[in-house]
Amino acid sequence: MRRATRSNRGTRPIERGVGVESLIDPRKQDPVLTLALDSDMLGVVVDGGGTPAPAPAPTPDELLARVGIGDREAFAALYDVTAARVFGLVRRLVVDPAQAEEVTQDVYLEIWQTAPRFDAGRGSALSWMFTLAHRRAVDRIRAAQAAHDRDLRIGARDLDVPVDTVAETVEVRVEHERVHEALADLTQLQRECVTLAYYEGLTQREISERLEGPLGTVKTRLRDGMIRLRSALGVTT
Amino acid sequence: MTGGDDMTEPRDHDREHDREHDDERVARDVAALEAMHELAAAHALDALDAEERAAFEAAAAASPQLRAEADSYAESAAVLGALAEPVEPPPGLKQRLVAQLDGLPQQQPASRALAHARRRWFERPGAILGAAAAAIILIAGVVIGVGWPGPNGWGAQLEMAAIAAAPDARSQTHEVAGGGEITLVSSAERGRSGVVVSGLPELAADQTYELWYLDDSGAASAGTFDVSGDETRRVLEGEFIPGVAVGVTVEPAGGSPQPTTEPIVVIPT
Repeated sequence: MRRATRSNRGTRPIERGVGVESLIDPRKQDPVLTLALDSDMLGVVVDGGGTPAPAPAPTPDELLARVGIGDREAFAALYDVTAARVFGLVRRLVVDPAQAEEVTQDVYLEIWQTAPRFDAGRGSALSWMFTLAHRRAVDRIRAAQAAHDRDLRIGARDLDVPVDTVAETVEVRVEHERVHEALADLTQLQRECVTLAYYEGLTQREISERLEGPLGTVKTRLRDGMIRLRSALGVTT
Repeated sequence: MTGGDDMTEPRDHDREHDREHDDERVARDVAALEAMHELAAAHALDALDAEERAAFEAAAAASPQLRAEADSYAESAAVLGALAEPVEPPPGLKQRLVAQLDGLPQQQPASRALAHARRRWFERPGAILGAAAAAIILIAGVVIGVGWPGPNGWGAQLEMAAIAAAPDARSQTHEVAGGGEITLVSSAERGRSGVVVSGLPELAADQTYELWYLDDSGAASAGTFDVSGDETRRVLEGEFIPGVAVGVTVEPAGGSPQPTTEPIVVIPT
């Protein structure tokens, strides 16, 4: 079973090669970098070696577990700590605010309904929620938007989204840096394919049409790109 | 009909033909599973079209390895979600959501025992098995495995993946009375079906789970299985014909020619 290093959160440095970089950049060995889309980044202070975090708020993983047994207060609390992230992702894909709101509503209703089946052994709560949100957003795009609408959006965006002020915490900044670093490990062409798929919601075929390249090449770049990303993020196999 | 001396020759020939057929099938199954692994990364990015996605997910339901691979990519893809700029949702959304929870039952997990008591299967309303149970006809001889690779191993997994990858593959998940979950993956085109069970209790040494194809003419054994670990896969023996129901009973070790207990689950197709 492949597992993310998130299970090691806060206790061990992320599993990656200790190279020259890590010698010159102390953050590389900072436990705070262990978060792999960890709930800790959502406002719980990660103890990076300093003072212990006082009375930590429940993490999304804890809240989701309670949602799984029908706890409505936990559902409301989970919404409070995650809604801006989920809505932000949906908005990134589904531009129309009203549709994005509908999709977000569907995502949270699905979270409520399927929380009892959430398997913490397979990933973190937040990544599960992002996965649900991404799929629903992509399905909405495919169902509701004509291809040419998407054409118009292409190029209007850039992966380098500005760091947000809503939930800007040290953890989020570090997470962003870490993901950017991981993405930097990809070749330009791999990155292009992965981001067209994830942030524009294109299928492999649509990417190949967009880039006017062979489908086989797109598939290879997507796969190789994801393999590199997975390895750079320290998702172990 | 030829003379006695010739009797063995055609059978040998048939066996050889079967072996070749099996080899071809295994090769095809390996290729099908590999093709699915190729799709895992794109699946995590939601970059598959609807058809590819359905095929991949049916295959993943049958293959723990494929599912683990899908999970690892999903975890990586989700990290990309963290790069999206957070945006506060409209203020009314939370209240609207909470107001809807009352009418929205939660799906229960596979491992949680069902609260309701078992009923005898022929008392289940609407069950096609009323007829099946009433018409128990002893069928001499249980169809034993027909030469394709064995019940719980790699071969079964390949076979499962191949069933799942069939264009007409269908996947149905049912809860099992007494706890656990069973997913039936079937393909009319291939004439095969298989089950993935999880959360079923381990049985005493003198008992086994037995699979049945059930139709109006009665119950035909489709093989036995024992559970170990989180999940057990089993390709059913015999031909899958759409419309048949698949049932599971607890039987004495070695299996029974006909069910002797009420089924713990019945899946109509």
